[in-house]
Amino acid sequence: MTAAETTPATDPAPLLQVDGLSHRYPTSTAPLPALNGVDLDVAQDSVTAIVGESGCGKTTLGRMITGLLKPSDGRILYQGQDIWKLGRADWNQYRRAVQIVQQDPYASLNPGLSIRETLRPGLLHHKIVPRREVHGEILRLLELVGLDADEAFLRRFPHQLSGGQRQRLAVARAVSLRPQLVVADEPTSMLDVSIRVAVLDLLLSLREEQGLAYVFISHDFGVVRYIARGGRIIVMFFGEVVEDGPAEEVIKHPRHPYSYLLLESIPIPDPRTARRRRREIATDAVDDRAEQPPAEEGCIFANRCPFVEDACRQARPPMAEVSPGHRAACLFPERVPQLAEAIPEIAGV
Amino acid sequence: MTSTHQMMALHADTAGGSNSNARQQAPAILEVDDLSVNFGPLRAVDGVSLTVREGDIYALAGESGCGKSTLAYSLLGMVPPPGVVSTGQITFRGRNLTRMDRRKLDQLRGAEISMVFQAAMNAFNPVITIGTQVEHVLQAHPDSFPTAREGREYFEYLLRLVRLDPDVVWNGYESRLSGGMKQRVAIALGLLLRPSVLVLDEPTTALDILNQRLVIDILNDLHETLGVTIIFITHDLALVAELANRVAVMYAGRLVETGTIDEIFYDDRRHPYVSALIRAVPSVTADTELIKPIPGRVPSLAELPPGCRFAPRCALATDICQSVDPPLLLDAAEHGVACHVVNAGLSEKGLLK
Repeated sequence: MTAAETTPATDPAPLLQVDGLSHRYPTSTAPLPALNGVDLDVAQDSVTAIVGESGCGKTTLGRMITGLLKPSDGRILYQGQDIWKLGRADWNQYRRAVQIVQQDPYASLNPGLSIRETLRPGLLHHKIVPRREVHGEILRLLELVGLDADEAFLRRFPHQLSGGQRQRLAVARAVSLRPQLVVADEPTSMLDVSIRVAVLDLLLSLREEQGLAYVFISHDFGVVRYIARGGRIIVMFFGEVVEDGPAEEVIKHPRHPYSYLLLESIPIPDPRTARRRRREIATDAVDDRAEQPPAEEGCIFANRCPFVEDACRQARPPMAEVSPGHRAACLFPERVPQLAEAIPEIAGV
Repeated sequence: MTSTHQMMALHADTAGGSNSNARQQAPAILEVDDLSVNFGPLRAVDGVSLTVREGDIYALAGESGCGKSTLAYSLLGMVPPPGVVSTGQITFRGRNLTRMDRRKLDQLRGAEISMVFQAAMNAFNPVITIGTQVEHVLQAHPDSFPTAREGREYFEYLLRLVRLDPDVVWNGYESRLSGGMKQRVAIALGLLLRPSVLVLDEPTTALDILNQRLVIDILNDLHETLGVTIIFITHDLALVAELANRVAVMYAGRLVETGTIDEIFYDDRRHPYVSALIRAVPSVTADTELIKPIPGRVPSLAELPPGCRFAPRCALATDICQSVDPPLLLDAAEHGVACHVVNAGLSEKGLLK
């Protein structure tokens, strides 16, 4: 019997629980694992954004949630069940219920399959609709994601589509199986600026219509703030979760020094803000703040942290509550300055 | 430090502000006049004219395929084949670059106009030290410093300006450097022969946020210290706001707006594409309710609409927009917009340059 099954009925188990997830790629020579003790709950019909720099493990985590990669340690519970202990039929259902939209729509679609053949096999395999209704369902899906729902379009191949159209097709493929959870891994980072928001709006409208939950992976706080309104943000650094809280709260009042440094450094598309923030530069000082390796003992961020103390190097700081529902893995969260002092514009939004 | 650099630093002081009179006193360093670049029948850059003045930090902005990179490469006579300059010319300090012979271009590149390419991680030879690569550059340009030792000292000075430790970099191999460090070494290498213009292609793309911030600070700093004129290509409006003083926005091969960053971001007279693009970017400070995508998509160069190329996506488009391609009209402050609707009545009001 798992812990989730003992939870009282009044407090239903979250859709997905990630429990102490760790992973080390077998070929890796890095001193630290790709993921280290990640805990995470995803509620039904919620948006959970995972933010972090390249190499922080966010894509590894997304692949594990989707069941594409088996963790070396820890568990993923879907509706209370360990996904790696599911029987064949349940596993099949899990793989239907949790879908992924990947970053690169030029790589995630099979170039040899027409649009019809991209969408058809999943509908048939999972018996989403009766065979004679598959064609109508494909047209309905195309319409749903804002693509041309006509015969000529069905015969096209991915190379005949723009990046935005490809990503819409990838979204259609993901939602065609009527999933409960979609992992979206940087779904807009390869798209042109002018159409990014259109794809984000599509994801938001699908969530409203179909009651989907999203795990949205991104390095872009602007995009995350847009998609995760009312949801949560999880900040990762070198395979560990360092901050977890309500989206607006994490962006306006980051309490982990790493989240603070990221938010404080973001280039902002507003010249007045940019000019005011322009920093006086101490010339000739070697600046390797962004280059320091993660600490192998104690707090993983200690080598880069401007507020570091001896205590930080003794043991890994646990995630501790800094305000209701908002946790940070820092011994001295009160030392982190208020972001609004650096960027007053952020407080007003 | 040469006296040219000191002289240009004076211009840099005035160019950063929004005082357009001060800017017009700075002499033009690069003038692009009605430039078109063709790849076979496709015109990647179509009739672009713009002026970069000494001390500018000039952004060439636009989405993928808009022609910004092709334009920047043409500034160094480096349009990749089969691309050819089909109309117009580029003048660098009075010299016509488009008609310059290969030998003169070789002398000019690196020494007068230098380029830092995108993906700096691929810019270095992995099997020799960074120092050896710098020595190769110095050997290829023997007149640039009185002695090789002075060349090395100047490079070490540049490394300190990009806030790297010269001892670590000089004897190191590229594999020892992170992506952010390589980008900074590439910038120092681009400045080695003391060019007056540095062109950077997407200088912060593929860097993480902390390194993006560092590169922005360093480029602002280099501009101030060396007085070098900077031209950079970007798709990122945040980088434009953080770094540039002037910007040219391109759309489907055409220049649609050029002006100071304040004009581009805040002026009432703006190209509808530019206004829409600024509204389409989710940022941590933008009002989420006001963020809106631009409907439709960028036209393919093979199927350009007649008239204004943005008309099919434009909320303001009228009949003339569907049939006549609008010219870019400059006002007295050199703020230019290529839009029939925005420019209507401009000449009657006597506002044109």
